Amino acid sequence: MRTEERNGVAGAGRDQFPVGMRVLAVDDDPVCLKVLETLLRRCQYHVTTTNQAVIALRMLRENREMFDLVISDVHMPDMDGFKLLELVGLEMDLPVIMLSVNGETKTVMKGITHGACDYLLKPVRIEELRNIWQHVVRRKFSTRECVTLDTYEECNKPLSADSDYAYGQVTCGSPDQSGRPSKKRKEYHSEEEDEDEDSNGQDNDDPSAPKRPRVVWSVELHRKFVAAVNHLGIDKAVPKRILELMNVEKLTRENVASHLQKYRLYLRRLSAVASQQAGIVAALGGRDPFLRMDAFEGLQGYQAFTSPAALSSFSAHGLSSPRNNQAAVVIQGRSIHTGSVSSTTNNSIGDANKYHLSLQGNQHGKLAQGLATSLGQAQLQQKWMNEDNGDLSAILCGNSLVKGMPSTLRSVTSSTLLPQDQVECTQAKVAIQPSIRAPPASLELLEGAVGASSDPLESRVSQQGALPLCGFSGSRLPVHGPFNNNGATRLGDAFSASFRPTNDLTVARGSKVGASSFGGTIHLSPDTEQKYWSFGSGNSFRQKADESSADSLLDPKLVWSSSQLTSNVDAHHSMSQRSNNCSINIGHGARMFGQISANASPVVPQAKIDFLFSGDTSMARNASESSIPRLQTELSSSTCSFDGLLNSMIKVEKDDNAFGDDLGCDFYSLGACI
Amino acid sequence: MEYANLRRQAASLKRSLFDQGYLDEQFCQVEDLQDEASPNFAEEVVSLFFKDSARLVANIEQAMEKYPGDFNRWDAHMQQLKGSCFSIGASKMSNECTSFRNSCAEENAEGCRRSFQKVKREHAILRQKLESYFQLLRQAGPARTATRSGGK
Repeated sequence: MRTEERNGVAGAGRDQFPVGMRVLAVDDDPVCLKVLETLLRRCQYHVTTTNQAVIALRMLRENREMFDLVISDVHMPDMDGFKLLELVGLEMDLPVIMLSVNGETKTVMKGITHGACDYLLKPVRIEELRNIWQHVVRRKFSTRECVTLDTYEECNKPLSADSDYAYGQVTCGSPDQSGRPSKKRKEYHSEEEDEDEDSNGQDNDDPSAPKRPRVVWSVELHRKFVAAVNHLGIDKAVPKRILELMNVEKLTRENVASHLQKYRLYLRRLSAVASQQAGIVAALGGRDPFLRMDAFEGLQGYQAFTSPAALSSFSAHGLSSPRNNQAAVVIQGRSIHTGSVSSTTNNSIGDANKYHLSLQGNQHGKLAQGLATSLGQAQLQQKWMNEDNGDLSAILCGNSLVKGMPSTLRSVTSSTLLPQDQVECTQAKVAIQPSIRAPPASLELLEGAVGASSDPLESRVSQQGALPLCGFSGSRLPVHGPFNNNGATRLGDAFSASFRPTNDLTVARGSKVGASSFGGTIHLSPDTEQKYWSFGSGNSFRQKADESSADSLLDPKLVWSSSQLTSNVDAHHSMSQRSNNCSINIGHGARMFGQISANASPVVPQAKIDFLFSGDTSMARNASESSIPRLQTELSSSTCSFDGLLNSMIKVEKDDNAFGDDLGCDFYSLGACI
Repeated sequence: MEYANLRRQAASLKRSLFDQGYLDEQFCQVEDLQDEASPNFAEEVVSLFFKDSARLVANIEQAMEKYPGDFNRWDAHMQQLKGSCFSIGASKMSNECTSFRNSCAEENAEGCRRSFQKVKREHAILRQKLESYFQLLRQAGPARTATRSGGK
């Protein structure tokens, strides 16, 4: 069947929505595609068709704004429909409808868990198609609803939506940064429930708890929280008092209590990580491909300070989407051109895990990498996005990342974390390094953060060296979003977590990051938020995933291995679950940045570092493997290089007093992420 | 030529195809999609179907020879074909596809082969019938603006 690539005419008929809604139809069967196209036209939608998923991804990545909705067949020769689903969800946060002749419950379930907002059986009837626009609307609404507590709703939204970068943006203080209209990465993750989930970016976990609106721990909120805790003293901080100090309406003591718990775990993790700093450094080795955001999935985990429950929420998302959501590494926005969009939902997350922390060499490097990754993420994303090199960038840049990696990347999309798949770029480059350079200060923070989780990092870092961390760049911090999701593609967010500021970054640089390199400037989110970012961002990321309870600095599921183009998404999943902590990372990452004050966008927000942390993801499996480490494996592989990273980061930070303090807190997020 | 007559013939042919179960409602939908912008849409789709399905059938055949016992592979191919059949409403053919897939699920190679023969046969029959149908329509003239032959 012909493949038409028509540019979605922006705005054509959009005013009369649903008329003119821009749909992208993907099906390898020419007959079905033709019929579908005509049916859609009959509904007055604007249709673009392609018979290849990879082309579809490319189109989507090139311009996310081009389409409102994607309809895809499940069985396609070049890429599994689920993978595409995940990726799209992660990277672009677009509603995806699955089509199939197969109506078996388990297949339909699979579609839903991967984040499909609907599942239609062939032959499709026009009546069914007439209503598909509701998914677009619903998604938009959901996004808006998230964040009940904070004005940073918008910010959160992006986060959740595995658009890590969105996070970055958020931190920048512009709630609407998310930019993408339907950033709901997080939503994507739980596509099926996106109606429910959307309403709150809340990652609040605790599904078993009595119904209560979920709290979205935005950066802002987290910042307040941390301030309150610091004021009271970590030992003496009790929820009641914290609540009073925070003075945020609609926040309950329970919310604070659970958040505090996570935070404590995060801190603990950070300190553990710090001790492993050295280890990580070694681990990192400088491998390029680290960004394989696959690890991102892990990051996702971070986000979720929330309990692993968040992960479950992921179910829907598949991280990414995915969906894609898997990759914690949510590589922000830019769809990582990984092209290998494995079925979106399923895969995505796995990839995320792969973030390879390509902390190259130096100890610091390791951290740096980690940081870099996180930072880089934000930055990287930005950078990468622009850069060709790297797929990493793409990955990191999150957003688009999602694409490739169906699941992992998905989440990444938001964060710079390069979706693993996306990472096609083989870029290990993503290794945060370069970008992390961002303000030295920030780096430090990152480092610290990284250090915190050093333990996990180390293992991880070593692996890939390619820390996909990137993406901290404030705006980018894709980390957040997807991480939450079930870990699956959320990579994006994860990344941000650990960028190593300054010194270490260099190390990171050494690593492959090369191309995408985080680019020195870790875009940490705005200073103010920064501190909180790390923690908070983790949270925000969490939003999506809930799953990763941030508490544990978690094993850096970090998907560091951005290099993985493959959809490590799967890894993510695991990560996300594990990553529980991951979400935290991001927060810290951000924090660190905060301190750093470097403009680095709160890397942390990238919190997606989750992916970094996705312990499971074998993130840096092999530090030696230069090729973009499969984040997934890499991350998981060892104790998480990320931890090491954190440690190193933390160490670096030591100099920075401010940071030091924060580290404790900040790292929390990082650690958590890890 | 008596357009009306031809159209009537086409309509009755179509009805019989429905009655005999060769086609189902989906075919109506496809025809419904015809409009001024694409007046021959149904025919285009159908010819596309036959072209593509021939390819798919060949693929299956090849798979069955090259990968004996690889039921998953056979099934995957057949699923594609089935999807196509569904899209145009070729119901008898798709039924045979289903039975083929069932045989695959049971790992019944012989059953698969038998079903596959049926699929091919139905494919040939349908093709012939639809070709006649469209030929009648074409002969009946493009001026079907007012009424649609086939009396849907």
